[in-house]
Amino acid sequence: MTAFSLAAGYRRRILGRIVLLTALAGAVAAAMLLDVATGPSGVRLTDLLQADTEPALAIILWDIRLPQAVMAVLVGAALALAGAEMQTTLNNALASPFTLGLTNAATLGAALGIVFDLSLPGIPSLWTIPLNAFAAAVAATLLVNALARSQGAGADTIVLFGIAMVFVMNALLWLIQYVASADAVQQIVFWTMGSLNRATWEKDALVALALAICLPLSLRQAWAMTTLRSGEDHARSFGIPVARLRLVVLLRVSLLAAAAVSFVGTIGFIGLVGPHLARLLIGEDHRFYLPGAALAGALVMSLASTASKSIVPGLVLPVGIVTALVGIPLFMTLLLSQRRRG
Amino acid sequence: MTLYLNGLSVRYGQRPVLTDLCLPPVAAGSVVGLLGANGAGKSTLLRALAGLQSATGTATLDGQSLLTSTHHEAVGYLPQSLPQGSPLLAYEAVLSTLRATRPDLSRRAAEQRIETVFDRLGLRDLALRTMAQLSGGQRQMVGLAQVLVRQPRLLLLDEPTSALDLRWQLAVLQTVRSLTVDHGCLALIAIHDINLAARFCDRLLILGDGTVIADGPPASALTPATLSDAYAVSARVERCSLGTPIVLADSALPL
Repeated sequence: MTAFSLAAGYRRRILGRIVLLTALAGAVAAAMLLDVATGPSGVRLTDLLQADTEPALAIILWDIRLPQAVMAVLVGAALALAGAEMQTTLNNALASPFTLGLTNAATLGAALGIVFDLSLPGIPSLWTIPLNAFAAAVAATLLVNALARSQGAGADTIVLFGIAMVFVMNALLWLIQYVASADAVQQIVFWTMGSLNRATWEKDALVALALAICLPLSLRQAWAMTTLRSGEDHARSFGIPVARLRLVVLLRVSLLAAAAVSFVGTIGFIGLVGPHLARLLIGEDHRFYLPGAALAGALVMSLASTASKSIVPGLVLPVGIVTALVGIPLFMTLLLSQRRRG
Repeated sequence: MTLYLNGLSVRYGQRPVLTDLCLPPVAAGSVVGLLGANGAGKSTLLRALAGLQSATGTATLDGQSLLTSTHHEAVGYLPQSLPQGSPLLAYEAVLSTLRATRPDLSRRAAEQRIETVFDRLGLRDLALRTMAQLSGGQRQMVGLAQVLVRQPRLLLLDEPTSALDLRWQLAVLQTVRSLTVDHGCLALIAIHDINLAARFCDRLLILGDGTVIADGPPASALTPATLSDAYAVSARVERCSLGTPIVLADSALPL
């Protein structure tokens, strides 16, 4: 073999991954177009091209379908990126914002905001619920992290406290629903179902902002996270501050989970499936895995959004229900076929 | 370069694991074998020196404490157990280690180092396979490549040959031996195979219940009495045709 032949072989693999990422981005764009073309009003894509001259079509395109389609992509990317980072730093393939109680905490924060009308002076009402959700998710993260640190800050301990957090947050949510007014309970139920119906450009911008903050920061730690896949002791002995990395990741995940949950409610499945799809397709070099997970999550969520408008003609099902009912069997089939192939 | 331990102690809660451990200065170029029964404190000693386990006492490398400050650049630690396979390529496991710890290296310098370490360990054919496709022993070799690519001065290897077949056991120990000679580094190796340790180590530190039972060159450290104390076995120590001690264990003694 010639000198640097390993590096040359590796660069060919990298090229393959860049092609895959580009294909995934193309698939997301196509899925988004399909999402925009689908809706309960039955207006087709060709009709929407006339939106410049028809005010009703312009409203359907610019105020309903496009913001929802963009929100599906953004929320899918945010949840999958959060799941990918959690799975790596907690060394647990089942970790996601949903399984560790962060989504539940954000939902609780949103519920508290709804029931007690926790608005802050000078803060626009659009920000009130997301801020409550974010504050609750961060508080839950810090609590889980502090409890885990008291026991040695191991990944398994964090997972254990995270699962306990799911039950505590659910119990508190039920308590709030028990004492809340019927109107507030109805609003809270919206959060727990997961729906893209209330998407607006402003809300899209907020989720995009969370992603724009988190993704570059994640990529800056890509090498450290990739090294962590070689084992925590190994990584620590190389000088990687694993406990600090874990805390920073959990804070980023709180922001992503809160941004997503605030506007579309609880969608548990994407944070799990996005990372798994990316791992199957791209591997675990986090320079490619993290954007790959975000794109895979965006793709699945966008397809789920289309499905939610197509399963029952004329009716839009909450997307959280669709991701679970349609996505999970597909995901299980994919995983099992991968396992059979070896 | 010199490694020196004095009064080194480690506790897990109330339970002492290493007690007042002392090691006279070990010079660069040495390979020190850590022997002892399961639970004797070999892994704990390596973890403490790698900065993964809090300890009291003195442990210095070139006069700088290994316990109070971070000396990750100087120390290379190979854990006893590595994770099950992942979709990470062996090449990128090594690359990520280098990139995460030495961002200052140019791409060309990093690639050069990686090629060298894969060649040195004879792993070229495995470089572009995923860790999931490798056997336990092969993963252990990649773990060693991750350690060596950083070019540490002190190697702390926890049972680096435990998952390897005979050929690879010899290959790893020969590599470590030649690294210490060529680059003047120092290696501490926890190992269960006493005869391999006698063959490749300059010095043996035999531990029992967290204290030193024997310390010295293999010919003096390995005696029926020290083996009885360390392992609770009845054993003979003979010489092979090369003059290296060979341990023949005859029977287990009652505990």
